[in-house]
Amino acid sequence: MARVITITSGKGGVGKTTTTANLGTALAMRGARVAVMDADIGLRNLDVVMGLENRIVYDLVDVVEGRARLRQALIKDKRLPELCLLPAAQTRDKDAVSPEQMVYLTNQLRTEFDFILIDSPAGIEGGFRNAIVGADEVIIVTTPEVSAVRDADRIVGLVEAAEKGTPSLIVNRIKPRLVNRGEMLSVEDVIELLAINLLGIVPDDEAIVTSTNRGEAAVYDQHSLAGRAFLNIARRLNGEEVPFLPLQDQPGVLERFFGIFGRRRT
Amino acid sequence: MSDLISIKGGRDGLRMRFDDTADWPALLVQLEQQLTQNQAFFNGARLTLELGERSLDEIQLSELLNLLQHHGVVADALSANAREARNAARAVGITARPLPRYADPPPGTPSLAPESEALLLTRTVRSGQVLRHSGHITLIGDLNPGGELIAGGSVIVWGRLRGFVHAGALGNAEVVICALELSPTQLRIADQIATTPPRSNGPHVPEVARIEQHQIVVESWENYKR
Ligand SMILES: Nc1ncnc2c1ncn2[C@@H]1O[C@H](COP(=O)(O)OP(=O)(O)OP(=O)(O)O)[C@@H](O)[C@H]1O
Ligand SMILES: [Mg+2]
Repeated sequence: MARVITITSGKGGVGKTTTTANLGTALAMRGARVAVMDADIGLRNLDVVMGLENRIVYDLVDVVEGRARLRQALIKDKRLPELCLLPAAQTRDKDAVSPEQMVYLTNQLRTEFDFILIDSPAGIEGGFRNAIVGADEVIIVTTPEVSAVRDADRIVGLVEAAEKGTPSLIVNRIKPRLVNRGEMLSVEDVIELLAINLLGIVPDDEAIVTSTNRGEAAVYDQHSLAGRAFLNIARRLNGEEVPFLPLQDQPGVLERFFGIFGRRRT
Repeated sequence: MSDLISIKGGRDGLRMRFDDTADWPALLVQLEQQLTQNQAFFNGARLTLELGERSLDEIQLSELLNLLQHHGVVADALSANAREARNAARAVGITARPLPRYADPPPGTPSLAPESEALLLTRTVRSGQVLRHSGHITLIGDLNPGGELIAGGSVIVWGRLRGFVHAGALGNAEVVICALELSPTQLRIADQIATTPPRSNGPHVPEVARIEQHQIVVESWENYKR
């Protein structure tokens, strides 16, 4: 049974595209057939992050409007044959696709893939609604900032109202040192407010920037902590119980993250 | 709310019930008064109109919708027994429903004061979510920043109150706001407004807010009950 998972956030720039690219790659590395879909129509960049920009011939809107078949628009990843990208249109606006068309598209993808990951645009408007309409599950990405968490809270309410169940959470760009000094919201603070299941904690990591610029997912980089965090999230998506990474060899951090883990799962 | 118009809240939103037989222009006058007087309660509300046996044509309904809209109220749906009224609703683009099976008695029939009716909710009220109720609201769960509870009566939050609460929003100042952790962005009771300074991160105790000499005062539950 294919799973359609939408990655969304409310606030922009918190790491949805980074998460989609890395989770898609990680799941495919583990042998799953994965399609990643860029639903950020008009502002596409999942293709850039995955280094596939130069291979785009047709996009999602071409498929919806009948100029191309789905197979023609799907772009195979450079390394992983089981990973495909369905790019967004660059030159169209968000109204180019209807919710019904999104559902139809995801249902077509279901027949050929194990996972369909949808990269949602920021905001709560039509683009966001299109991105979740065909989803079975929703993952919310937030950074540990008050405004991002506030928007995430809003999104949780909208996802629940859309009857997509309670979303799960990835806290991205955690800086353990700042958290320890009390200068950044901790994962616990975020969880306490949102009261949803924690799927992963991704540290702030320069390797994300360099890998993005190379067009290669950070999960390939053995030394990237963020890459390892995304690999772990992919395993959790497959139902494995994976403890949260110690983000730094600092006393305190480890226990705190394990603390959350224990509380959420028991 | 008045003898010709009553307002009720429920899990599925507010309902405005109009007297079945009263003169329509007189009803509109009363509605206008109510909306003006209780602006804090109504502004931003969405509700269902309940017409009972009354019939309305498209022009009358548009007039009603305009009046509501002028006060920041949107009517999503209309329930009525008369086919003409339901057709008018469809014509102006709102959902039309037949009368609910267990409709409220029309206004004017003896009933409990609406404020004594409490709404009990077990959930998290999140940013962007607004709950309005003409009676008391009891929330078992957190009210997050950006979320709002607006009640004609008192508001009890068995959880963290971090959002916006307006108790006594239909004018009653003899109401309270209680929470296990009272750290609101803003509290209002009747026509008084209080913004709270950021608190220390120390342990929170249950607290009660109420009006004393035209001001909102907050004290711990332990002190309040003495
Ligand atoms: N864990 C991380 N460490 C360091 N930088 C990161 C991390 N996650 C994301 N970034 C950087 O943050 C920026 C925004 O990331 P990304 O494009 O994935 O966000 P987005 O939520 O998709 O944004 P938009 O709302 O514009 O679509 C990028 O420059 C990315 O490289
Ligand atoms: Mg993006």
